[in-house]
Amino acid sequence: MKLNENSKILAAASIVLKQIGLILIALLFATILLAVSGYDPFAIVRGIGRSLTSDIAGTVRWATPLILAGLAICVTYKAEVFNLGVDGQIYMGAAAATAVAMALPATMNHGISVTLVFIAAMLAGAAFAMIPALMKVYLGTDEIVSTLLLNFVAALYIEYLVTGPLRDPNEAMNMNASPIISENTWLPRLAVFSPSSANIGIFMAIIIMILLTFMFYRTSFGHEIKIVGSNPVLARYSGMKPKKTVLQVMAISGAIGGIIGAIEVTAVQHRLLPGFNPDFGFDGIVVSLLANNNPIGVFFSGIFFGALKNGGINMERITDVPSAMTEIVTATIFIVICAKFVLPKIKKRIKDKKSAEEGGK
Amino acid sequence: MSLAVISDTMASMIRMATPLMLMALGGLLCQRAGVFNIALEGFSLVGAFAAIAVVQFTGGSVWAGLIGAMIAGVVYSSLYALFVTKFKADYIIASIAMNMLGLGLTSYLLRTMFDVQGAYSPDTIHKLSMINIPVIKDIPILNCLSGQSIVTYIAIALIVVIYIMLFKTKMGLSICAVGESELAAKTAGIKPNVIRWEVILISGALCGLAGAYLSTISVSQFSENMIQGRGFNAFTAFVFGGAHPVYSSLVTLLFGLADAVGIRIELLGSNISPSIIKMFPYVLAIVALMISSYTTKLKRLGVIGHKKKKEKVKS
Repeated sequence: MKLNENSKILAAASIVLKQIGLILIALLFATILLAVSGYDPFAIVRGIGRSLTSDIAGTVRWATPLILAGLAICVTYKAEVFNLGVDGQIYMGAAAATAVAMALPATMNHGISVTLVFIAAMLAGAAFAMIPALMKVYLGTDEIVSTLLLNFVAALYIEYLVTGPLRDPNEAMNMNASPIISENTWLPRLAVFSPSSANIGIFMAIIIMILLTFMFYRTSFGHEIKIVGSNPVLARYSGMKPKKTVLQVMAISGAIGGIIGAIEVTAVQHRLLPGFNPDFGFDGIVVSLLANNNPIGVFFSGIFFGALKNGGINMERITDVPSAMTEIVTATIFIVICAKFVLPKIKKRIKDKKSAEEGGK
Repeated sequence: MSLAVISDTMASMIRMATPLMLMALGGLLCQRAGVFNIALEGFSLVGAFAAIAVVQFTGGSVWAGLIGAMIAGVVYSSLYALFVTKFKADYIIASIAMNMLGLGLTSYLLRTMFDVQGAYSPDTIHKLSMINIPVIKDIPILNCLSGQSIVTYIAIALIVVIYIMLFKTKMGLSICAVGESELAAKTAGIKPNVIRWEVILISGALCGLAGAYLSTISVSQFSENMIQGRGFNAFTAFVFGGAHPVYSSLVTLLFGLADAVGIRIELLGSNISPSIIKMFPYVLAIVALMISSYTTKLKRLGVIGHKKKKEKVKS
C-alpha cells in the first residue's frame, strides 16, 4: 500500500519535472531568439521573475481567465472532445453579461445583480457551445473545424453589438464600445492588489477547479466522461450514453467560457470592448495540456501562463521587447508538448534493454 | 441587375476565391494522405509576411515576394512535418500550435524588423499588372476570367495539375494509399512518412503563395493575423468537396461569392451592419460542414451509397 503511494508520488513528481523541463526548453528558445534579434536576452526570464515576485497582482489578473480557460478545455478533453471554441463562448458570455447588466436597474441589490449577470453569461456560453455539440452528436460534424469557425462568427457578433445595439451613444464616433455598466453589477476587485484589476474571479476559478476535481475523481459522471473519452464502445455497452455525455461536457465547458467573458466585462473592462479577448481559449489548450488535463495542475499551469502574459506586458513597457514574444513561448511549449511522446519511448527502450539483460542472467 | 454588375461580382468572386483555392489544393493532398492539416492558416500567415519582407528588401519586386513566400511556406511547414512524422505529434495539437506560432512569430518580426505594430506596407512595391485574355475579355459574363492576376491563373492550372497527379500518377496512388491504409501502403513498399513530408511541404508552398497573394496582390501590406480564418474556410471547402481538386475548387468559388456579394451589399450602402455581412463566409462554411458530415453519416449508414447521388449532393 505504502509502496503504491510512493510510486504514485514519484510518478506525479516525474510528470511535474518533465513539464518544467518543457517550460525551460521554451524559455531557452525565447532567450536565443531575443539574443539573435538584438534585445536583452534575459528580458523574458526577468519579466516572469518580476511577475512572480513584485507584481503578483498582474499575474493574478491574467491567471484568472487562463485558469478558467484551461478548466473549460480539460473538461472536454477528458471526453475526447476538442472544444476549440472557448473563445467564441467567452465572447457570447461577455455579450450576455453586458446586455443583462445594462438592462438591470442601477438600484438593484449588488449581490443579486452580479449573480444574474453571471447566470446569463453561463447560459449564453453553454448555449453557444451547444451549436457545435449538437452538430457533432446528430450530424457527426467534426467539432474542431466547426468551433474554429464559430469563433469568427462570435467575434463579428461582438463587433456588431458594439457598433449597433449596445453602442454607447455618448461616445465619440471612432470609439466603438458599450456604455460603462452600472456599478452594482461590477465584480469586486481585490483590495490587496489595488490599483490592479485582479479580482475575486480568481476565487471563482479555484472553486470551479475544486468542483471539477471532485466531479472527475469522486462521482460516477466523472468516471463516465473518462470512459466515453477512452473507449466509447465500452461506454455504450455498459449502458452509458456517449452522446449525452458529449452534450454535458460541452455545456459545462461553454458555461465556464461564459464566466470568463463575464469576469472580463464586470471586473476588468466594465464595458464591452470588441478586442477584449486575446485568444484566452487557445491559451487554455496549452494551459490544460501542460497540466496533463488535471484540474489541480491546470491551476498551477494557469498561474505560470498568467505570469508569462503579465511578464510579457511589463517587458514591452520597460524594455521595448514586443509582447508577441509571450505568444512565441506559449506556442513553443505547445509544440514541445506534442513531442513529449518521444520520451516514454526512450524510457521503454531502456526498460526493454534492462529486462533483456536480466533475462540473460 | 445589369450584366456589368454580374460580371464585376464574378470577377471579385474569383479574386476572393484564389487564395482559398490554393490553400484548399494543398490541404486536400494532406487530407488524402491522412494528415489532418488545419495549420493552413499559420502557413499562409507566414507566407504573407515573408512576401512583404522580401518585397521590401528587393526594392519592390512582387515576383521575388511570391517566390520568397513559397520558400518560407515550405520551411515553416517542414517544422510541422518534422513534428508529426518524426516526433509522432498529434495532428490537431501540432496544427493549432503552428497557427499560434505563426501569429506570434509574424507579430514579433513585424516589430523587430520594421519597428511597427499592427500593419506594415513596404516603401515601394511594383504591383503585378493584371493579365487580359484577348478573346474572353470581350465576352459578357465570361470576361470575369480575364483581367485577373497571374496567381489566379496559376491556381486554375494547379487544379488540373493536382487532378492529374492525384488520379493518374503513381505518386497520387501512393498518397491515397497512405491515407486509406498505412499498413497496406507499407506492404506495397511505400514509405508513409516520405509521402507525408511531400504533401505537407506542397501544402506549405501553396499556402505561402496564397498568403503572398493576400499581402502583395489583394492589398499592399501585411497586417497582424491577416488571414482571418481563411485557412479554416479552405479546410471546410475541401472537406465539403470530398478532397477532390475540382469539386473543392468549386466550393472555394462559393465562399468567394459569399465574400463578393458581401462587398457588393456594403457598396450599395444597405442597412445591414458590415459585421453581419462579414459573417457570410463563415456561416456558409459551417452549413457546408454540416451538409458534408450529414451525407457522410448517411453513406456510412447505407442510406445513400451510389456514386451518382453522392456527386449530386456535392456539386
